[in-house]
Amino acid sequence: MSKEYDVIIVGGGATGAGTARDCAMRGLKTLLLERHDLSAGATGRNHGLLHSGARYAVTDQESAEECIRENMILRKVARHCVEETDGLFITLPEDDLGFQSTFVDACRRAGINAEAIDPKEAIRLEPSVNKNLIGAVKVPDGAVDPFRLTMANVLDARLHGAEVLTYHEVTAVVKEGDRVVGVEVYDVHTKEKKTLRSRLVINAGGIWGHHIAELAGATVNMFPAKGALLIFGHRVNNLVINRCRKPADADILVPGDTICLIGTTSSRLPYDQIDDMKVTADEVDLLLREGEKLAPELAYTRILRAYAGVRPLVAADNDPSGRSISRGIVCLDHETRDGIPGFITITGGKLMTYRLMAEWATDLACKKLGVDKPCQTADIPLPGSDITEEDRYASGSDLGGKAARGRHGSRSVEIKHKDRYDESLVCECEGVSIAEVNYAIDTLDAKNITNLRRRTRLGMGTCQGELCACRAAGLLSKANGCARKSVEDLATFMNERWKGMFPVSWGDTLSEAQFTSWIYEGVCGLDAFDKKEE
Amino acid sequence: MRFDTVIIGGGLSGLVAGIDLVRKGQKCLIVSSGQSALHFFSGSFELCNKENDPMKAIASLDACHPYSKLGAERVEALAARVKPFFAELGLNFKGDASANHWRMTPLGVMKRAWLTLDEYATFESETEMPWKKVSVLNIDGFLDFHTSYIAAALEAKGVEVAVASLSAPQFDKLRESPTEMRSTNISKTIIGEFVDALAEQINGKTDGSDAVLMPAVAGLTGTAEVERLKELVKVPFHFLPTLPPSTPGIRIQMMLKKYFQQQGGVYMLGDSVTEGRFEDGKLKSIKTLNNEDTEFEADNFILATGSFFSKGIVASQNGVAEPVFGLDVDADSDRTNWYQRNMFDAQPYMTFGVATDEEFRAKKDGRPVVNLYVVGSVLSGFNAIKDGCGAGVSILTSLNAADQIMNL
Amino acid sequence: MNKEQNTNAESFEQCLKCTVCTVYCPMVAVNPDYPGPKQAGPDGERYRLKNPVFYDDALDLCLNCKRCEVACPSNVKIGDIIQSARLKYSSKKPKLRDFILANTDIMGTMASTMAPVVNFTLGLKPVKAVMDGVLAVDHHRTFPKYAGQRFETWFKRYALKKQEEYTKKVSYFHGCYANYNNPKLAKDFVKIMNAIGYGVNLLEKEKCCGVALISNGFKNQAIKQANLNLGSIRKAVGRGEPILTTSSTCTFTMRDEYAHILELDNSDVRSSIALATKFIFELVDAGKVKLVFKDDYRKRIAYHTPCHMEKLGWAIYSTSLVKMIPGVDFNMLDSQCCGIAGTYGFKKEHYEDSQKIGESLFRQIRDLNLDMVATDCETCKWQIEMSTGVQVENPISIIADALDVEATQKANR
Repeated sequence: MSKEYDVIIVGGGATGAGTARDCAMRGLKTLLLERHDLSAGATGRNHGLLHSGARYAVTDQESAEECIRENMILRKVARHCVEETDGLFITLPEDDLGFQSTFVDACRRAGINAEAIDPKEAIRLEPSVNKNLIGAVKVPDGAVDPFRLTMANVLDARLHGAEVLTYHEVTAVVKEGDRVVGVEVYDVHTKEKKTLRSRLVINAGGIWGHHIAELAGATVNMFPAKGALLIFGHRVNNLVINRCRKPADADILVPGDTICLIGTTSSRLPYDQIDDMKVTADEVDLLLREGEKLAPELAYTRILRAYAGVRPLVAADNDPSGRSISRGIVCLDHETRDGIPGFITITGGKLMTYRLMAEWATDLACKKLGVDKPCQTADIPLPGSDITEEDRYASGSDLGGKAARGRHGSRSVEIKHKDRYDESLVCECEGVSIAEVNYAIDTLDAKNITNLRRRTRLGMGTCQGELCACRAAGLLSKANGCARKSVEDLATFMNERWKGMFPVSWGDTLSEAQFTSWIYEGVCGLDAFDKKEE
Repeated sequence: MRFDTVIIGGGLSGLVAGIDLVRKGQKCLIVSSGQSALHFFSGSFELCNKENDPMKAIASLDACHPYSKLGAERVEALAARVKPFFAELGLNFKGDASANHWRMTPLGVMKRAWLTLDEYATFESETEMPWKKVSVLNIDGFLDFHTSYIAAALEAKGVEVAVASLSAPQFDKLRESPTEMRSTNISKTIIGEFVDALAEQINGKTDGSDAVLMPAVAGLTGTAEVERLKELVKVPFHFLPTLPPSTPGIRIQMMLKKYFQQQGGVYMLGDSVTEGRFEDGKLKSIKTLNNEDTEFEADNFILATGSFFSKGIVASQNGVAEPVFGLDVDADSDRTNWYQRNMFDAQPYMTFGVATDEEFRAKKDGRPVVNLYVVGSVLSGFNAIKDGCGAGVSILTSLNAADQIMNL
Repeated sequence: MNKEQNTNAESFEQCLKCTVCTVYCPMVAVNPDYPGPKQAGPDGERYRLKNPVFYDDALDLCLNCKRCEVACPSNVKIGDIIQSARLKYSSKKPKLRDFILANTDIMGTMASTMAPVVNFTLGLKPVKAVMDGVLAVDHHRTFPKYAGQRFETWFKRYALKKQEEYTKKVSYFHGCYANYNNPKLAKDFVKIMNAIGYGVNLLEKEKCCGVALISNGFKNQAIKQANLNLGSIRKAVGRGEPILTTSSTCTFTMRDEYAHILELDNSDVRSSIALATKFIFELVDAGKVKLVFKDDYRKRIAYHTPCHMEKLGWAIYSTSLVKMIPGVDFNMLDSQCCGIAGTYGFKKEHYEDSQKIGESLFRQIRDLNLDMVATDCETCKWQIEMSTGVQVENPISIIADALDVEATQKANR
C-alpha cells in the first residue's frame, strides 16, 4: 500500500513547480510529477521576458495589471533569476506615433510606470536601438531565467517537504467512481509503472494538460499557438526593446544572460504536432527582418539557434492568430465544472504569472482539503534570491565562480571545490566549472547533458556544445558509472543542439556545425551511438 | 613578385601540393589565412572508409566524386606515393591502400583508416584485440580525454583494463588555469628530462599489461619525445586521439611548413587573398590583405582554401559562394535543402564546393580558368565524413594538381 | 560586415572555439594566471558585454604579440579584442614606472641630452637596485644605451642639404629607437636610400608611434600622438612620398593599431606606410634598382621574425634582401616570440616569464654559432643580445655594412 499524498501536481514547468512550492509551504503533503525534465516544455521555450505588462496594457488591462504586480514580486523573491534591465517601446517612422499616448495612458491605468522619453535619450540608454526611432517609452521590463526560476521553486518545495519526480510520465488518472484518487505513472528510467494516490490531482501540464484532462475524463480545449524565436550569440542590447504598436510578430528583443533573443511569431498548430515543432525558413526570415528594425546590428550578429514554444491558451473562440485571446489565468474546479471531484486544472496565464496561477490553484486545493493557511510565496524569497546585486556581480578573476554566482545567487556557496581541479571550466563559453556541474548533478537532479544545460547554461554558448559536451558526458559517466549511457546521451545532446542550429545554419553558424561534425563524427565516431529514433 | 605557382591555402592540401612542386624545382608561394584543420587530426588519414577495401569502396562512389573524376587507376597510383612522400619528411605512417586497418576514437569507437601516424594504436580487426590486458592512462586533470570510454569499449571486446592517471607538478601548474590544460599545452611540458621521469611513472603503472594506451599529448614540435617515451616504456606504447587541439596534427602541420620553407617555398601565414586579376580565361595575379600594393604573379594557381570551416566557401541566408574570386559553386540555392534534421544523417551541405571541369580547373561564369586548380575540401561532390575520404581527397587531388602543373 | 551571413568582419563571434589560438600563445605556455587568448578574447568579450565586472585584470599579461590572430583560421582579431578590453575596462592605474617606460620619447629626449651620465647611471648596480626596488624595472635588464647625438640633430646638421640632390624622395619615420638609441640604423637607412638614388625627408613632426602608450594603458595620449603622426604622414603622402620605417613595431602600430585599437581612420595612408626593406626589395625585384655588395663581406646570419613582423607578414622582404648579400650564410629561426614584447619584459613582475618564453629561441640561436642575428625590431634586439650575447642588427644595417656604396650609386645612376 503506497502512501497517500494530499496533492499530486502534474507538470514540471514554472506553474507546476510554483504550485508544488505553494502547496508544500501551506503544509500539504505534495508530489510533483514531470514526464521529462523540469522546464522542458513551454516554460523553457519563450522570451524569458520579465513583462512589465506594458505590452498588454492597451488590449488586455487585466493581464497588464497581473504582470506588473508579479513583476515587482519576482524582483523581490527571485532576485537571482531576474535582470532588472528596463525596457523601451519604440515608435519607428512607419508606426503611428499617435498610439504612444494611448499606450502610456493605458500603462498608467494598469499601474505600470511608463515614461515617454526623448528618442535621443533612448539611444543614449540603449545604443543598439534603431537610430531612426521617432518615439520611445521607458517601462520596467526586465529579463527572467525560466530554468532557474523553476529550479528555485522545486528546491524550495523540497525544503518544505515536497517530493519531486522527474522522468515520470502520467499514463492514467486513477478514479474511484467519478472521484480522482491518484495517477498511474511510468518511470522512464526503470521502465516500470506504478500507482500513486492522492486526495487531489492538480493538472499543471500546460498545453499537455489537454491530454491529462482527457485522462481524467474532462475536456479542456487548449489552443496550441506556436511562437518561434531566434537566439543571437551575444547581448546586443541591454534594455528590452519592444515596438510601440498593437502586439505583432517579432516585436520584442530581450537581453538574457550572455545572449539576446527576438520573438515571436504566432501561428496555429495542430495538437498532434506540439511535441515536434519545426521552425520554418519563412519564420526565421520574418524574425530577422523585424528584429533588424528594432536593433539593426542583429543583421551582423551570429544566430545561435531557432526554437519554438507553444502558448497554452484555453480556446475560447476561433481566432486564428491566438492573439486576441486573453492571456488570463484559467483555474478549473472539475468537481463543479464536470462533476469530477479531486481534480483541478490550472492553465492559461504566462510565465510572468506562474506564481499567481500557483496561488489560485493552491487556494482552491486548500479550500477543498479544508486547510486554512495564507499564501506566502509573494513574500518569502526563493532559495538563491538572498543576494544583493553587488554580491551577485562582484569582481574577481575566477570566471567560473563569478558566472555561477550570477546563476545560482546565494545558493552558489553550495558549489564546493573538493579538489584542485574543480575550478576547471567544462563549458568555456558560459563559464561552467566542474564544481558547478557536480553541484547540478548532486543537488539539482541533472541526469543528462540536457538537464545540465538547463541547470547551468552548459552548451548554450557560442559553440553550442562543441567544446564542452564531451567533457560533460565524461563527468556524468563518472557520476552514473556507465560510459555507454553517457556517450549515447552525448549523441542525443549534440543532435538536440543541431535541431536548433540548422534552421539558421549559414555564415559562422554553418562553419561551427561543420566543425562540430568533423570532431564528433569524423574524429570521435559519435554517429555509432545515434539512436535514430526520429 | 613572380612565382611559378601561387597556392591559396596552407593546410594539408596546400602544403602537399607546395612541397611536391618545390621538390620539382618550382618557386612557390603559399598564402594561408590561418592555421588548418590538421589541428584537429585524428591520428589517421582516410582514403575511403566505407568498406575494408578502400579501392572497392571508391569504385562505388558517385560520378561527381573527386576520386571518380581521377579514375580508379589514378587514385591507386597517387595513393601509392603518399607514404614515401611523408617518410621523406620524417613522418612515418602505418597502413596502405590495399586494405583499411582500424583505429580507436576518443569515444572508443572503431573506425577504418588508411594511414595512421606511427605512434597511434591501430588494429587488424574491429572486434579481436591484440591484448589480454591493457593499461589506459590519462594525465591527471585533463578533460579532453576520458579513460572510461576507452575502458568500456575495450572491456566489451574482452580485454582487461587497468585505468590510472599520471601526475606531476608540471601538470598541476597547468591545471591552475581553468581552461588551458589542453593537449598542446601538456605537450609543451613533456620535454627534456621530464620525458624520462614520465616514462618511469608510466612503467610503474603498467603492471601485467600487454600495452599502454594514453592520450596523444606529446611531441608537438617533433618526434623526439615520442621516440624517447617508446624507448623507455617497457611495454608497447600507443597514443589515442584526444578532443582538439591535436598535438600530432600540429606537428605534421609544422613539419610540412618547415620543410616547404627549407626547400625555398615562401609561406605567408595570417594573410588573405583579396582579389585576383583574370585575363583571357587565366588568373594572372593576386593581391593580399597584408601586401595591398603588391601583385603576386604566377603561371599557375592552386585553390586549397578548405570548406565552410576555413571559409573556402561561405553560406549566406540566400546561397553559397566562393569568397576569394567569386568562382562557380556546386550548391543548392534553397537553404531548406542544405540539411537533414538528424545531425548524423548525410548533410547535403557537406558536398558543396567549387565547381570544376574534368581537369579540376575552377569554373568562373561557367568557363574553366585554365591555370587555377582546385584541390582538397573546397572541391564539390563529396562528403568527407560519410565517405570517409577527407584526407585522401586532400592529398591525392593536391599531388594530381602538382603533376598537372609540371605536365607529368 | 556581411549582412547576409549575419557576420561582422570585426566581430568576436566568428570564433568557432577551435582552440587553435591557444596553441600559439607564448604566455599561456609559461603562466597559468593568463586566461589564454580564447578566454581573454572572444569568450570573455561575451561576458564583458553582459556585465563589465567580468573583466579580468589578468588580461594585463597579454603580450599583444598577435600570434593568436595570425593563427586564427576564422580571422578573429583576438589580440585587438584583448587590448581594447584592457583600455576600456581596466581600473588599474598605471604606475610611475609604466609612465616612464611608455613615454619613450620623453625619456629619450632627457636621456640623450645627458647620454654619458645616463648610460653610466643606468649601468650602476645601486641605480639598478633602486629601479628594481622602487620602479619595479627588473635589475637583470640592461637598459638600452642612449646615444650622445640624436639622429635628427645629425640629419639636420650633416645630411639634410645633400637630400636636395635627389628628385625621387621618400619620407622616413625613424621612431624613438633610431633617434635616441641607435642613430647608426637611421644613418644606414639614409646611406642606402641615397645610394639607390632616393633622397630622404623627415616628417614635419614626429612623435613616438605610441605602441608603449597603448600597452601601458595611456589611450588618450596615444591618440594624440597618433593624430600628430598621421597629420605629418598625410602631408608627405600628399607630396607623393611613401613613409618608410626601420622598425616592424612602429610600422605595425601605425598601419593596424591606429585603426583597430585607437579607432582612428588611417585608411587613406595605411598602404603608404612600409618597412624600408619591403620598399627596397620591391624595387630590386622589379629591376628598378640594383644593389652591389662588397666582395669580402662574410657573415653567418640568422633571421628572427618579430611578432609584429609575423603579423605584418613581411619577413619575406627583409629575409630576401639579406639573402641577396653573396657572403651571407643565411639561416631562418623558427618564428616565435622572444619574450620581451616591448616594455613588457622590462617589468620586474614579468621578467621570469619573459625569459621562459624566449628560452627555446635563445637555445636555437646559441646552437647555430652565428656571427649575428638579423631582426627588424629593436626590443627583440635587446632581449636576444641580453639573453644570448649574440650581436643583433637590423637588416638595414646589415645591408648598409655589406653594400658597396660607390658601385651601387654607379649602378643606379
